[in-house]
Amino acid sequence: MIHRYQLGEYYIVLDTFSSSVHVVDKVAYEMIGMFADHTKEQVLNTMHKTYGKDPELEECYEQIEQLRQEGRLFAADTFEPLADRLKQKNTNVIKALCLHVAHTCNLNCSYCFASQGKYHGDREVMSLDVGKRALDFLIENSAERTNLEVDFFGGEPLMNFDVVQHLVAYARNREKECGKNFRFTLTTNGMLLDDDIIAFANKEMSNVVLSLDGRKEIHDRFRIDYAGKGSWDRIVPKFQKLVNARGNKNYYIRGTFTHANPDFLKDIRQMLDLGFTELSMEPVVCPPDDPSALTEKDLPVIMEQYEQLALLMLERERQGKPFTFYHYMISLKDGPCIYKRISGCGSGTEYMAVTPWGDLYPCHQFVGEEEFRLGDIWHGVTNWATQQKFADCNVYSRPQCKECWAKLYCAGGCAANAYHATGSVQGVYKYGCELFRKRIECAIFLEAAKADLHP
Amino acid sequence: MKHIKTLETRNLCQSAKNGGCGECQTSCQSACKTSCGIANQQCENTKKEMK
Repeated sequence: MIHRYQLGEYYIVLDTFSSSVHVVDKVAYEMIGMFADHTKEQVLNTMHKTYGKDPELEECYEQIEQLRQEGRLFAADTFEPLADRLKQKNTNVIKALCLHVAHTCNLNCSYCFASQGKYHGDREVMSLDVGKRALDFLIENSAERTNLEVDFFGGEPLMNFDVVQHLVAYARNREKECGKNFRFTLTTNGMLLDDDIIAFANKEMSNVVLSLDGRKEIHDRFRIDYAGKGSWDRIVPKFQKLVNARGNKNYYIRGTFTHANPDFLKDIRQMLDLGFTELSMEPVVCPPDDPSALTEKDLPVIMEQYEQLALLMLERERQGKPFTFYHYMISLKDGPCIYKRISGCGSGTEYMAVTPWGDLYPCHQFVGEEEFRLGDIWHGVTNWATQQKFADCNVYSRPQCKECWAKLYCAGGCAANAYHATGSVQGVYKYGCELFRKRIECAIFLEAAKADLHP
Repeated sequence: MKHIKTLETRNLCQSAKNGGCGECQTSCQSACKTSCGIANQQCENTKKEMK
């Protein structure tokens, strides 16, 4: 299976099953388009009509044929028969937990997928005992895995900072005796950041995710406190302070774009103007009847914004002022193996969310949906039937993915998005697929262009 | 004249033989939290090889 597209000055051909990326000229681009279902004679006859009887054309044909023979163009799918076995390899091992240390929030954002941190339930914070047990549960179920990931999430996790601090200290002690390596992430709205917390986060957190939607008027439209006051002015200086003191450690300024700002490139420019360079901008997740939901009319605007973003990144790369966009990070040479590409995010199997009460859910986006409760941190998974639905998710389990060229970049997509769009974790959120494919096109375009800049 | 330039990419068939260690980052633990994509996750083994 191949995918051809043009972006900027580049003609690009992707080969799905070999994961090959070919940057081609216009002649090769057209020829590859005809190659699979035409004879050599037919292809060359058609090309002669446009380009004349140039011997270069036959040479180009032979280059394509050689790549086909090498398995780097029109490669067959040899992975489908292995899909169940590949996914099975990582079942029954848990390596990552999203710890909901606070089901409460000091902001009242109407677009919040977690219903202002409450997840459609009661407000609560996680006790230290529950948190410790969650870390023990992770260690006990992590088998041979060394790297264990814990995300302090909410609500707003800094509303329970004391517990976060103690849990990190507890994990640091336990990792030594167990031969594990904890990697922590903190996802915060920034309201409670102060010098002590910044110092702690920059020392202990492998990654910090800072919620900022970009332009002040866009951010303050949704991200307001309970008095209705926007939070932009209060959090931006704190984020700048944290990032300036962070050194080379990972962070992301993470924005959400909605129907109010499908022109989100303006927000990315605002983030850059504020001095941030590690950026992420996510499409909002909410019911289709919510006023902030993205519409079909927004789609072409978003697609164009993604392209413009890629071009901006290239321009900044040329100027020696590069920045990172999370969804355009792609590692062609050192990217994920086929196991990961088939298995996906691991929700419900190797990755779970823990509520303040110690309940286990397949991921943070299912918390509060009672039918998805998998068990708890004392008894482990007891809802085997639901877990099996997640264990069965792989790139080959969704018929809609069969003809998609991007499947080995997305691994079948987000189960929560699928569930909310279709009522089934095995469904497909088509709108998200459109955005995903565009992002991969842009990401690979950037790799091609950067290879020319830094040969 | 060369009409096609092929970028260096990981050999997926080879990775079926030696991959699957499970040590790489869980995709939703990074920045998204509301979508899925694994393309931007780096392999822990090739990272080690690079050091």
